[in-house]
Amino acid sequence: MSDKNTLKDLLSNKMQRRTFLKWSGAIGVPVIAGGIGTKMLVDHKEETKTAKAKDTEKIISTCSINNCGGRCVIKAHVKDGMVVRVSTDTQESGDLSTPPLRACVRGRNYRNMLYDPDRLKYPMKRVGKRGEGKFKRISWEEAIETIASEVKRIGDKYGPESRYVNYASGQSWGLHGGKNAARKLLSLTGGFLNYRNDYSSGAGNVATPYTYGTNNTGSSFDSLLHSKYIILWGQNPSEMIFSTPYREYLMQAKKNGAKIIVIDPRYTDTAIAFADEWIPILPTTDNALMDAMGYVIVKEKLHDQAFLDKYCIGFDGDHMPVGVAKSESLKSYLLGEKDGIEKTPEWAERICGVPAGKIQEIAREYAKSKPAALIQGWAAQRQAYGEQFMRGGAQLACLTGNVGKLGGWAAGTGYWSRSDIVYPFSYENPVKASIPCFLWTKAVEKGTEMTEADGLEGTDKLTTNIKLIFNMAGNMLINQHADINKTTKLLEDDSKVEFIVVSDIFMTPSARYADILLPGTTFFERYDIGVPWCFGDYVVFGDKTIDPLFECRDEYDVFAEVADKLGLKEKFTEGKTTLDLVKESVERTRKELTPDFPSFEEFRRNGVHHFKYDSPLIGFKEQIDDLKKHPFETPSCKIELFSKALWDMNQQDEIPAIAKYISSWEGPQDPIINKFPLQLISWHYKRRCHSTYDNQAWLEEAAKQEMWMNPKDAEKRGIKSGDRVQVYNERGSIYIDVKVTPRITPGVAGIPQGAWFTPDKDGLDQRGSVNVLTSQRPTALAKSNPQLTNLVEVKKA
Amino acid sequence: MTTTTTTETLHIQLQPFFLSRKKYFQLLHLLFSVPATGELLVGIQNNGNLQELEEIHDGGKILRNFFEHMTAEQIDRENEEYQRLFIGPGPLVAPPWESYYRSREHLLFEEWTYQIREQYHLFGLQYKNENNEPDDHLLLELEFMIYLVDSCLQETKTDRLVELISSQIHFLENHLTMWIPYFCKRIIEQTNSQLYLGASMLLEDLLTFDLTTLLEVREALPDVR
Ligand code: SF4
Repeated sequence: MSDKNTLKDLLSNKMQRRTFLKWSGAIGVPVIAGGIGTKMLVDHKEETKTAKAKDTEKIISTCSINNCGGRCVIKAHVKDGMVVRVSTDTQESGDLSTPPLRACVRGRNYRNMLYDPDRLKYPMKRVGKRGEGKFKRISWEEAIETIASEVKRIGDKYGPESRYVNYASGQSWGLHGGKNAARKLLSLTGGFLNYRNDYSSGAGNVATPYTYGTNNTGSSFDSLLHSKYIILWGQNPSEMIFSTPYREYLMQAKKNGAKIIVIDPRYTDTAIAFADEWIPILPTTDNALMDAMGYVIVKEKLHDQAFLDKYCIGFDGDHMPVGVAKSESLKSYLLGEKDGIEKTPEWAERICGVPAGKIQEIAREYAKSKPAALIQGWAAQRQAYGEQFMRGGAQLACLTGNVGKLGGWAAGTGYWSRSDIVYPFSYENPVKASIPCFLWTKAVEKGTEMTEADGLEGTDKLTTNIKLIFNMAGNMLINQHADINKTTKLLEDDSKVEFIVVSDIFMTPSARYADILLPGTTFFERYDIGVPWCFGDYVVFGDKTIDPLFECRDEYDVFAEVADKLGLKEKFTEGKTTLDLVKESVERTRKELTPDFPSFEEFRRNGVHHFKYDSPLIGFKEQIDDLKKHPFETPSCKIELFSKALWDMNQQDEIPAIAKYISSWEGPQDPIINKFPLQLISWHYKRRCHSTYDNQAWLEEAAKQEMWMNPKDAEKRGIKSGDRVQVYNERGSIYIDVKVTPRITPGVAGIPQGAWFTPDKDGLDQRGSVNVLTSQRPTALAKSNPQLTNLVEVKKA
Repeated sequence: MTTTTTTETLHIQLQPFFLSRKKYFQLLHLLFSVPATGELLVGIQNNGNLQELEEIHDGGKILRNFFEHMTAEQIDRENEEYQRLFIGPGPLVAPPWESYYRSREHLLFEEWTYQIREQYHLFGLQYKNENNEPDDHLLLELEFMIYLVDSCLQETKTDRLVELISSQIHFLENHLTMWIPYFCKRIIEQTNSQLYLGASMLLEDLLTFDLTTLLEVREALPDVR
């Protein structure tokens, strides 16, 4: 066979091949080659510098600023501009002044999140009906242009109070972030409607100051090493990272001999890890248990009379505010002197389900084991009368004199903070009007009708409803707000809110409701400094490890451009980049707050800074040591077990002056329990941070979305573990798989909160998104979210 | 015969083959580019020689049918479908990146992205958006193939030609044909679009066909040297 022939054979003899070649020979591709005229592969620029460093892996320390209470060290192993691996703090544990800041299970997924193919990649505009999910890719130029013109149009037409930056926490514990960038832009263009408070400890934030004058009622966690007895009441730091090193201290406290009690409707991972005893309780009835504990303590004279006399208002008839009858005292209430009901353990047992003997036992133990720390989580205040829960815990701490003492704990909201940095990015909103954050849907629907009774502040009346919403890295627009069906209906009507901008890294249920949808960055792609919730003596450097992927942009840069369109760039940035903000924060922190704070380079290198203290911070130590010199920040300058301010509101049934058990709507005593016999609670799941990461497959494997149900309740309904069920009430209906387990109290169902609302074609959620079932009715005093107050029925799907 | 003449002959002999290949890679590239205003689709409609394609391939039949009845509204719909399949927002039907199909966790920027980048660098090329977007996007891998074919068209030295052919074989064997079948499967299963159905069927088959042909050509080459 000649050479020539071989090739010829090859190219022409095989039938299919010949036709293919003939066919492609006939295509007039050059004519249409314009399509690939824009070459994406260009000449490779050898950077002599990096060429050498090519194969070396660099470790860059950064920090996630989601809304977990932690903040840990995330180490990105970067090679050639790509994150090839992620690790965490390698520091040994042992020295409790510099506890290791290790990532939790969520952190092991951070690289998967970064390189998830589902990331939002390009700016989009809505093309279908709002909420339908139809979008079209647009240029950044068009996105910026649209935002600038709508900000102006709506501001001009309705006034600045029509513009709102929604509560959002996906990106919350850093120096800048989308929310602040949007607020600054609006501040520079006339202002925006403010909100107050949060969805985490909303009832508590308003209630606790009526007792103590402040929410800073906590002590640093190292103080727990001196506690003899610790009650974790509805607190679950094993699953919800309250503060990264918290568990180290709890473990050490346990080693030091403290007895730990967990009160919770669920046998949580915290109960497993730390508790000597788990006390199951029915949701919304915590104050019945508290009242009965108080009763036992007072009846058996275990209370600290000297403490109450000296520091408190309202314990007994001799310490009442002027003009209030002696019979209104706490003691009188507990003993039933006025209402004829002694708040005995037997009385409480019928309400909360905790056996009377057990109530007696923990009341005695708590009163006698000094010092004792009653630490309140916030789940139990996310209920209809959550204010009572927060003040009720404080009441017990005062009865036992555990306030202001090493190893004790004042209860209440429990913030504590003594380490801070400077936040150089700021804005001043010319608008003073503010609403409670939970009532934003009301301000959309009938803002102009809101009054002081709705928690409107800064003005008597709003001039407009909300017409424009910036929702930056948040899922409160749909998923995390109560009553999803009600919210979606409200937002679908684009004559109400006329313009919605969402920035996020994934297509969340909230993102579906955007008119302009922006691709945000992850913490890997920007500079920042991460701070823990107020509970921690450390800050973490958030280095930029790689450039933003695709067309993703940091919101700071987005709003700087919008400002530019409006001729305000200089005012917006003041000539600073986000890196400049970080540097400025470090420099000013050194200068203004902590002289031994590291330099920028040092901080960057170490990745973390621990603030060091000689002794624990003890909440209210100053006041207890010298009340004259350091009065409580209440009207009476004392602890107000009885609050005259609340008394004067004259709504004793729902807003009593002393903390009391109030039988809750949709609680176990509400008659509608006959129709919807199960109390439904939710909890922070270990595989999500609120709703963040819900779409992450690896984490779903780590902990599946499923509803917990007690075997007794399951059996009645013919339900087995793994069954799919429908959970419903008058607000809506969801589908979810069930885990039948004695780890939850009979009569209670529990759904991990934060699953993304995933409606089928009939609008029925298939993922178990609990807020389909929750109510928008706010708490009485704080106008806060009652999302753990629900009655439902469950049936096999 | 001297070596030079052989080489020249070989070079000339292979010209139509490379030209054809260039064209079908270009066509594939066009089929998977953003349809945008439709200019591109109209171009294919007019110049794609679809009648003949119909005769030789099922995907071709579907494409012919599509282009024959293509309307302005259809182009809008195809744009929507393109966005749903490859752009988002939200979970993509068929993420057009190699590492998605090859990594255990279905992520972008995995080792395959890196390998592809190395290949580009080796040939003095680089993705314009390197480090912003992954290097292993379908359109980039196709563009790289076109580049290699182009190089073949210009190459007169046999040993270089053999090398270039080997590079293409390597790229097809270790990359394109490793993931494209999975990519196409997803589209074929989940699209109602005749355009993307036909294009996927064609893409999958053409790549396999190209690989087999190249392997055979390389087999034959040492004989002519
Ligand atoms: S959720 Fe919090 S503690 Fe866990 S990895 Fe993320 S930042 Fe760290």
